[in-house]
Amino acid sequence: MMKKNTKNSIVGMAFFGPALVLLTIFLFLPMILTVIYSFTDYFALNPDNTHFVGFENFVNIFGDELFTTAFLNTVKFVVIIVPLQCLGALGLALLIHKVAYCKKYFKVAFFVPVVMSLAVVSTLWIQIYSPEGIINSILTAFGIEAQPFIYSAKQALPSIAIMSVWQGVGYQMIIFLGGLQAINPALYEAAEMDHASAWKKFKDITLPELKPLCVFVFITVTIGAFRMIVQPMVMTGGGPSSSTYTLVYDIYETGTVNWEIGLASAMAVVFVIFVVILTIVQNLLTKDKGEKK
Amino acid sequence: MKVEKRKVLQIVLVTVMILMSLFFLFPVAWMIANSFKGDAQITADMNSAAAFIPPAPGGDFFDNYVYIFTDTNFIRYMVNTLFYAAILIVLGVIVNGLAGYALAKIKFPFSDKWILIIMMLMIIPSETIITINFLFVAKMGLLNTVIGYILPMIVSPFNIFLFRQVFVGLPDDTYEAAQLDFCGPIKYFFTMVLPMSKAVVATVSVFTFLNVWNDYLWPSLIFTSSDLLTAQIGLNAITSNDNTTMGQTLAVITMITIPVIIVYSFFSKQIVEGVIATGSKEG
Repeated sequence: MMKKNTKNSIVGMAFFGPALVLLTIFLFLPMILTVIYSFTDYFALNPDNTHFVGFENFVNIFGDELFTTAFLNTVKFVVIIVPLQCLGALGLALLIHKVAYCKKYFKVAFFVPVVMSLAVVSTLWIQIYSPEGIINSILTAFGIEAQPFIYSAKQALPSIAIMSVWQGVGYQMIIFLGGLQAINPALYEAAEMDHASAWKKFKDITLPELKPLCVFVFITVTIGAFRMIVQPMVMTGGGPSSSTYTLVYDIYETGTVNWEIGLASAMAVVFVIFVVILTIVQNLLTKDKGEKK
Repeated sequence: MKVEKRKVLQIVLVTVMILMSLFFLFPVAWMIANSFKGDAQITADMNSAAAFIPPAPGGDFFDNYVYIFTDTNFIRYMVNTLFYAAILIVLGVIVNGLAGYALAKIKFPFSDKWILIIMMLMIIPSETIITINFLFVAKMGLLNTVIGYILPMIVSPFNIFLFRQVFVGLPDDTYEAAQLDFCGPIKYFFTMVLPMSKAVVATVSVFTFLNVWNDYLWPSLIFTSSDLLTAQIGLNAITSNDNTTMGQTLAVITMITIPVIIVYSFFSKQIVEGVIATGSKEG
């Protein structure tokens, strides 16, 4: 008779084994290799001629004009998308929470774009934004001049950013709605007895109760915006004149089109460091809330 | 009067929200309405409300749809994607479910460390390792194969975590009883644990389906042969053909969206729960 602990260990490892094997091959190993390759000049078409180059890749990417453009574009995407999408989602959730009629219709209406894939949304909005497209014909009806949208280096990035908010905001709205419904109604009843104003109730009850969710939504939307690639890939190919080329787009093309794995790995490392910093900030912010409580 | 004031406020609120909902729905309405039109009709209607109204059903009403079903590989792409999703749902529930159960209920070496590592892995954006995974699959000679596409997609730290969170709440004593014979644990997992946890199995399955159906980067790297493409990549293949009209493109993207809408309308409860679970895991 085997000892119970030994048997448990065997069963446990057998259960966890398949996942562990796949995690190792397709997650741990790629992560480790990405870090290692980032210090080499690994070129996938000539892998035998690989050297250790120290921090050269990191120096090079920040000196590279395309990478810095891609980096700045990504920051611009983040700066437009994050406030619009976070505040938009919170606003929509509050409105739906308050409205007495057609609640269900509004929930569905704001969520519909979430259902569509990025490739579908991008393909659709190429037509919507077209010079002879529906938005321009509406603008013309109001006497406003037709706009070039994704065909102009100035407007392409904001156009794609607004489309992305349109597509994604319903998702965070559902998260906020869940949070609003979870707030104990007794809190509001107590405030009502004190004749608190609507704004005071919002500021003193709703916002503090939603704070962990706000932080979570803020971070996920930020990371999501940093990951922008499919929309410019489908709509503009990163153009016009690299105005919608993004960080992840650059990683992707450097690695899988130009085969410069060393360089692409260095970019990926920089990207992951950003994401990890953001996540740590999130944890610090939510922990802060827990301690105050 | 207080009641009067409330009513006026509600009417204002509803009006504002209806206007906002129009902003969210107009691209979708335009897409569906014009997927039934020829390009000349689309252009002619663009400057009037007719842009949002489908044409009267008549002889050529379904022309665009007939074209994409008969003259392109579109059905093939849809069937491919459904097939990949089915495989990945089954394998994903088994592999991630077993792992989640081990982490929730069974003591094995480092089991408490693994859950922390899994949670950390959830942070890593897949785009950062996609290049290396692509190299792996290419080195294994699995480019343009279903196996090469599926293997890296099976395991998901997020799904392991979801399973683990639910399995932690299951009673302990039944597992002890099932341990009496050696193949007990596996049998127990499939006949007791999974049936007891239908909700999380449904949530993981639905999210796996949506992920496979909507994924773009990974299948676009792996598949080049037209026989294997997923719907999203097939969309690219169809629209990049110069002969494809705008109406046909709109018909394709409408068709691609329909399965997702079906899934959302049947599983909206699981999806909302899953979405909220992602929100509350930190809170």
